[in-house]
Amino acid sequence: MRKKRHLLKVDGLQLRFGGLQVLDDLSLTVDEGQIVGLIGPNGAGKTSCFNCLTGIYQPQDGRVLFDGTDVSRLPTHRRARLGMGRTWQNLGVIDSLTVTENVMLAQHQRTGYSALAGMLGLAGTWLRERELRRDAAEIIDYFGLEDIADERCGSLPYGKRKTCDMAMALATDPKMLLLDEPASGLSPEEALGLVETLRELRDRLKLTILMIEHHVPLVAEVCDYVYVLNFGKLLTEGEPDEIQRHPEVIAAYLGGAAAEPEVNETDEADDTTQVLRASQSPGEPPEWPLQPAAEGGAHGAA
Amino acid sequence: MATATLVLTRIRVGNGLWTVLRIVLVLAALALVAYPLIFGGDVWAQRISRGAIYAIIGLSINTLTGHAGQISLGHQAFVGIGAFAAAFMASRLGAPLGFGLGAAALVGAITAAIVGMVALRVSGLYLALVTLAFGMTAETTIFNWREFTGGGAGASAPRPAIVESDFSYALLCLGVLALVLYADWRMVATKTGRALAAVRNNEQIAATLGVNVTGYKLAAFCFSGLAAGLAGGLFAHWNQVVQALDFEFQVALVWVLMTVVGGLRSRLGVIIASAFFALLPLTLPNFLASLPWQPPFLNEAVYHVLPPFIVVVLLLIVLRFFPGGLGQLLAPLTRRTAHKNGDRG
Repeated sequence: MRKKRHLLKVDGLQLRFGGLQVLDDLSLTVDEGQIVGLIGPNGAGKTSCFNCLTGIYQPQDGRVLFDGTDVSRLPTHRRARLGMGRTWQNLGVIDSLTVTENVMLAQHQRTGYSALAGMLGLAGTWLRERELRRDAAEIIDYFGLEDIADERCGSLPYGKRKTCDMAMALATDPKMLLLDEPASGLSPEEALGLVETLRELRDRLKLTILMIEHHVPLVAEVCDYVYVLNFGKLLTEGEPDEIQRHPEVIAAYLGGAAAEPEVNETDEADDTTQVLRASQSPGEPPEWPLQPAAEGGAHGAA
Repeated sequence: MATATLVLTRIRVGNGLWTVLRIVLVLAALALVAYPLIFGGDVWAQRISRGAIYAIIGLSINTLTGHAGQISLGHQAFVGIGAFAAAFMASRLGAPLGFGLGAAALVGAITAAIVGMVALRVSGLYLALVTLAFGMTAETTIFNWREFTGGGAGASAPRPAIVESDFSYALLCLGVLALVLYADWRMVATKTGRALAAVRNNEQIAATLGVNVTGYKLAAFCFSGLAAGLAGGLFAHWNQVVQALDFEFQVALVWVLMTVVGGLRSRLGVIIASAFFALLPLTLPNFLASLPWQPPFLNEAVYHVLPPFIVVVLLLIVLRFFPGGLGQLLAPLTRRTAHKNGDRG
């Protein structure tokens, strides 16, 4: 698995907001068919990194190579067309649309007709719309959302919207999925289901996945390779079990070495002890959930 | 009216009955237009033309504000430029009506695209200010350009023989309205509608789904300007003379208000409200003055200032009780059908 072609290569990313160094010389590589984790304490710059990869932020320096092409200067929608699918920490669904419409929205780039043709109501567009609707129904079925397919996303519970977000990312027909905290806010059963889903996406749909995740046991469970970010810098990288034993990682999560002013320091301490326990008995599935996810606070950007 | 909505949402009827109800609704709407058109003589034919022109303008603003989430307080400029372009084509160049309307639509679209390029850089309150300033500037510059607009006397826009009568002109206006309505419907039902919904709600999400945010914003401005210019062209030939006075800021305000009262993103609501606002100042004063009993201290002069007052009261009622406008009231009737057909009412 490690000998495959690089799908994503990030080279020396520098991102500053005024005097704040958000990302400092960040380089990472994701191979085809891998599930790669990006972990780090709150405010480490994980989401900012995603925003640089998808072109929402323009980094001051550094290059992003995706599928062999330099996409550093491309606008977001062009990168999406090359096959970068993304989910959002605070959900990428459009609340005023139904689940079906959201998925059809995500199919935007493979509608196969021009906006003008659609407006003129040419015969082909009616046909394509029907096909898109059928494809959307298939994706919705796959994610088990068929009961709520005609509900507006705004009226759905968090977990369903999260699933819808994932369905949308998949409907863009990506080569690579960028998942921003896919397990945050999910119930234990849903989180376990996520592990299955991620593996299935990789093995059956041959997708490459880069994910930000706070739940280290989930990362340890599904990831092939892990990058650890702290204060915008790459702390370390390696296989999940190496990472869990790495003293600097533990220090960063405990806040010992860096002495971060974290509010939920105790939460993270629990996290790490859980990690340590998980690493001591690797055969045992991790327990869910560890604690309520630290969401809604720092966006990862600040 | 609120209770009416409640009752309507509680009624559970089978699919077949909904289809029948919908057909009846459409037929009733057509009959409502056809009756005065056929039996009302020239006066009503003129009024219906005006209603249709306002409905096109309403749909134009609906595209921009309702679908793309951009505000325009300078719509009188797009409509006015369209009107003067049509008049110029007809009176100076002697071009056929079709070319005049085409030129009006084109000029409207180009103007809107230029404003749209500014709109890409500002949003919200600042966009409102920019469009407001643009509209005001257009009023004092382009509309006073004597060669183009004919100065204070206005530009004449004679109708060709085929639509000489008010009746046939009303049919033309209704036909153009039908075309715009069709384009709007297909726009919302295809990928453009979904892309615009995404752009309206969250541009970053839209972009990561592969939607060209800049392109779609500009396209919305273009389509809106195109419809507005077309409406302007129709207005020119409806009135047969175009003056700068016809396109003052107040009318743009009324157009935005009528779209909001009709309900953003509700085609039916916007059309009904637009037609209502178009006819109110024409019909209400005469109607009140013709009543057998006149209240003291009120006379026809007072009745003429009533329509703007009613507009404002309606706006307040809508904002307080139905933020979704008239369309919210009609939603139980239209939404059911939307699911079946796969477009959003």
